[in-house]
Amino acid sequence: MSAPNESLDRRRFLKVVGITGAGTAALSGCSTDQVEKLIPYLVQSQDQVPSLPTIYASTCTECAAGCGLHVKTREARAIKLEGNPDHPVNAGTLCSRGQAALQGLYNPDRVAGPRGRNAAGKLTEILWNEAIDQLAAAVKAAGNRVAVISGAGAGTFDDLLSQWVAAVGGKLVRYQAFGHEPVRLASRKVFGADELPIHDFSQAKYILSFGADFLETWLAPVENQRGFANAHGFDGSGMAKFVYVGPRMSLTGINADQWVAPNPGSEASLALGLANAVLNTRTDVPADAAVLKPMLAEYGLDRVAADTGLAPVQIRQLFDEFASVGPSLVMAGGVGLQHRGAADLCAAVNILNYVAGNVGRSVKFGGGVTTGDGYGALLDLERSMAAGEIDVLIVHEANPLYSVPKQGGFRSAFEKVKLTVSTSLFFDDTAAASDLLMPNLHSLERWDDARPRAGVRGLLQPVMEPVFKGAATGDVLLQVAKKVGGALAGFSAPTYEAHLKSVWADLGRARGATDLEAFWRGALAKGGIFEPAPAAPPVRLAATAGEVSGAKPALDGDGEFIFSPYPSSMYHDGRGANRPWLLENPDPVTKITWQSWVELHPETARELDVREGEFVRLTSPAGSVEAAVYVYPGIRRDVVAMPLGLGHLENGRFAKGRGVNALDAIGAADGQGFLPYLSTRVKLEKTGHYRKVAKTEGNPRELGRGITEAMPLAAAVKGLTVKQAYEAAGHPSHEINTELEVEAIEGFRESQLEKRKLGAYALTEPQWGMAIDLGRCTGCSACVTACYAENNIPYVGEEEVLRGRELSWMRIERYFEGGDDGRPISARVIPMLCQHCDNAPCEPVCPVYAAYHTPDGLNGQVYNRCVGTRYCANNCPYKVRYFNWYAYAKKAFPEPLNLQLNPDVTVRARGIMEKCTFCVQRIRGAQHQARLEDRGLRDGDVITACAQACPSGAITFGDMTNPDHRVVKAAKNHRGYHVLEEVNVRPAVTYLAKVVPGSEA
Amino acid sequence: MRKLLVAGVGVAVIVGALALTSFRPSTAQQQAKKPDADSVVAPRLTVADSGQLKGPKQPIFFRHDIHSGQYKIQCQYCHYSVADAAEPGIPTLQTCMGCHLAIGGSDSTHRVEIKKVRDAWRQKRPVEWVRIHTLAKHAHFPHMRHLKAMGPNACATCHGDVARMPQVFKVNNVNNMGFCISCHVERKVNRDCTACHY
Repeated sequence: MSAPNESLDRRRFLKVVGITGAGTAALSGCSTDQVEKLIPYLVQSQDQVPSLPTIYASTCTECAAGCGLHVKTREARAIKLEGNPDHPVNAGTLCSRGQAALQGLYNPDRVAGPRGRNAAGKLTEILWNEAIDQLAAAVKAAGNRVAVISGAGAGTFDDLLSQWVAAVGGKLVRYQAFGHEPVRLASRKVFGADELPIHDFSQAKYILSFGADFLETWLAPVENQRGFANAHGFDGSGMAKFVYVGPRMSLTGINADQWVAPNPGSEASLALGLANAVLNTRTDVPADAAVLKPMLAEYGLDRVAADTGLAPVQIRQLFDEFASVGPSLVMAGGVGLQHRGAADLCAAVNILNYVAGNVGRSVKFGGGVTTGDGYGALLDLERSMAAGEIDVLIVHEANPLYSVPKQGGFRSAFEKVKLTVSTSLFFDDTAAASDLLMPNLHSLERWDDARPRAGVRGLLQPVMEPVFKGAATGDVLLQVAKKVGGALAGFSAPTYEAHLKSVWADLGRARGATDLEAFWRGALAKGGIFEPAPAAPPVRLAATAGEVSGAKPALDGDGEFIFSPYPSSMYHDGRGANRPWLLENPDPVTKITWQSWVELHPETARELDVREGEFVRLTSPAGSVEAAVYVYPGIRRDVVAMPLGLGHLENGRFAKGRGVNALDAIGAADGQGFLPYLSTRVKLEKTGHYRKVAKTEGNPRELGRGITEAMPLAAAVKGLTVKQAYEAAGHPSHEINTELEVEAIEGFRESQLEKRKLGAYALTEPQWGMAIDLGRCTGCSACVTACYAENNIPYVGEEEVLRGRELSWMRIERYFEGGDDGRPISARVIPMLCQHCDNAPCEPVCPVYAAYHTPDGLNGQVYNRCVGTRYCANNCPYKVRYFNWYAYAKKAFPEPLNLQLNPDVTVRARGIMEKCTFCVQRIRGAQHQARLEDRGLRDGDVITACAQACPSGAITFGDMTNPDHRVVKAAKNHRGYHVLEEVNVRPAVTYLAKVVPGSEA
Repeated sequence: MRKLLVAGVGVAVIVGALALTSFRPSTAQQQAKKPDADSVVAPRLTVADSGQLKGPKQPIFFRHDIHSGQYKIQCQYCHYSVADAAEPGIPTLQTCMGCHLAIGGSDSTHRVEIKKVRDAWRQKRPVEWVRIHTLAKHAHFPHMRHLKAMGPNACATCHGDVARMPQVFKVNNVNNMGFCISCHVERKVNRDCTACHY
């Protein structure tokens, strides 16, 4: 409504305050020395009321999982993405990448409109009808020499595209960089089912992952995480045990109760050995599994021990545990463990699931989940392109010039095509090399639907006017069809929206809807139609099931280290690389921001005499990459690992030239239908360069401070407190106050309670509190992104992170345990945010009362009072107060990124302290609404952004004085403890200790 | 609440005494609850007079005293979201045209201004009003809470007796926190900083 206005500049604010102090009259207000305009709408919007959010249901397209969205809009701008609670895949929560789709929508580096090559070969602005004419003419001339590479998931667009390509007789390759092809190949081989299974964690008592990073990029991470937290979180009586098998502990790996690191490539042998153990010990094995007996009999303990290099005692323990605990769930097929034997590994895991009786229970087929035609199909197309058989190539929602290793010559094949067309929204590596850019609309700007699995059809609807001059690719296809005619004459829908509606009208008719408009509106409001998957016949072993090999896959090169490029949970296949939220949000495992790194085992680093930050060059037969070293205890000694996703040649201001592309060091050769990421040995040499690693990790170890607490399952089942669990184990708890200290603390507490009887502080207001269950938290950092989005937190950039000036109001601390003391290495994570202490040490030191305690139990921070002494931050034992050193917000939100800013939250100027507010704007909003409705606040009225986003449901928030609120029950849990309890600040955040299976924590 | 209403009436009476030129009770319309609001007849002014009036000159010489005072149109008819949302809502041009499609003005001074509205509507060009009350960006003022607490006639408490303003001007500095606080102290309501600052 109002014209954009700079937020209050602090200098000007001080000036005005100065004038007031001098008693000068005619002060017109803080920021009104410029004329501001009020520009009303011409016509009343049916959906938008100024200052009230309007929420639209939509579907996320950031990966193939197809999570449901609730898009919060204000004044017709999308300002936050949250999960759709009705959606069966994500049930109301959302990961970091999904939330960062907003930074795709408002990305300053989006292709602003169609572009074509001029005579000099430079990309220049053209008109949409020129672009469509050019494409139509080329398609007409090309006949069947047309090809399309599409990363779009199943849905009406994909159907239309495949009909369109079939009509011209061209080739369609559905390609996603992380296509999980080995999983699908294995389903085909073992069960004859050409699809990816759906995993149900709910019944699993034993979870085993062979490199499947199911909390990060594997299949549906949000759904997996919810299932995992439900199964693995302590529910009062028990929990599942989780074992991770792989050369490196990924985010999924650090959540495991046990990490097993066999020789890379020998995992299939272990899986088959486990299957053999089950077959030999259990009586409830499916009858038809008997045919596998001779094949599995080869994988006895000795063979597995020889293949994997693991200690026989450890293998025996795994065999015994797995065979005795059920039901279980075994997964395999993550990109980080995609070696040439990955399809065999996945097949071995299918067999393991089958003999253990998991298929049909925790591993379900019949969902029809596919993720494209795979890497093999892409390489076939590359050969056609290189042979000059393709005249027109359209690349849609894919970036093959980045995601296919350079060594393979995809670029030269690409350049042989007469007309290359990109529909990318961004100047990514492929778009920058294309002849014609026809940018699609962002998924929040267009009509579409998504069919991620049987029974789930999500709708996408435009939630706002397009930010740039894109055009929906569906419309482009229809318009080109009209221009070309002939074989394409059958595409008669006037627009893609009309086509989509007609498809949905058919869906409505099939469901017996009499009022199709009501059916459409209902589906739009709900986010789609969600039905139980149609019953599928149970899968049985296929004839080819026995052809699984546990043989070790080949590795290229003769270097001494095995190279493992693994998917980053933030950048995914590289699409997150130009989103500052994802760059600034530290990698959940290493805590590194803004850069690429090479992970080395501490002993390897010692042998090579390299320290963190020193650059090493990894050389393989395919090429070499250089990056700074990060010494990581959670990796095998003979493996070096690098995250994927950075190192773009193009792709916008944040991504271009940032980091390195780990794919440069691997070959592009096909590994029977998929790209074998882990297929190379590398040589390692120091380059002599050094750059400090921009990480937010302080000390990787807790040093006995008791920040994250854990207790053994046996103690948790007995209902012991953390202290009791320590005592039961024969250890004193990490810190004990002396008797005198206890007396002093009690006395102080009494006096404080006396003071709390005064005035507004007499506990007449709600007392806000939070409980965080560390048994459920995985460290995925979705809450961190949610906090950035909700609270207008600016990114500070690599330089400032190096100085420790990041403004992450909520951060995930990760501490390593063991590894150097005989205990196996493990990690613990804890979300750290302002604890809103009752005896907050920050409050009494503020000379201007900017930090103070509110009557409703918040630790308030009043920006306009703050003069930036930073005393409060110095006095905070949790280090959760952040100082705004520069006007970060001015730099961090280049237009149109500023359109994302939450109007309910002040954009902070420089020179002030800021921190978690417990989403006070949401509290006040809920209080306003309750007052308008003449009622009190109910549980669930206030959900902080972090709690809302958390896929694990680890965070509970509410009024600690109201026994109806779930947070009260959660905080009273026997596992509850406060971080640094001995300093007696009485935090409002209660953590619930993690529970580890077994008898030792 | 009673105290505040009295205070509001006090202001209204003073302003009213200056603006009142004649007294003609309205018979066609319902009797308003507040006796002083009954008595407004807007003076005849042309756009040339607007320079002499208090407050910034607007692109259209919109007369709150005619609409709200003389014709007793409720504030919320145009400021449509004030009872539900933090923002009061600025009427869309469509709202203006809802009446002014039919009402062309009884007087030449009115007709010339109404023509501006109709032209803007025809040209699909919104009117760019000059903003009078701009709350600093670090403070949040929920209009609906104040309407809920003080009733539909609460507007005058901060905005003055707009019903008698030919051209709206700033009566109170909404960025003077003392102005907010004195009221909150008097009414014994929330004085917590984070009630408004977050």
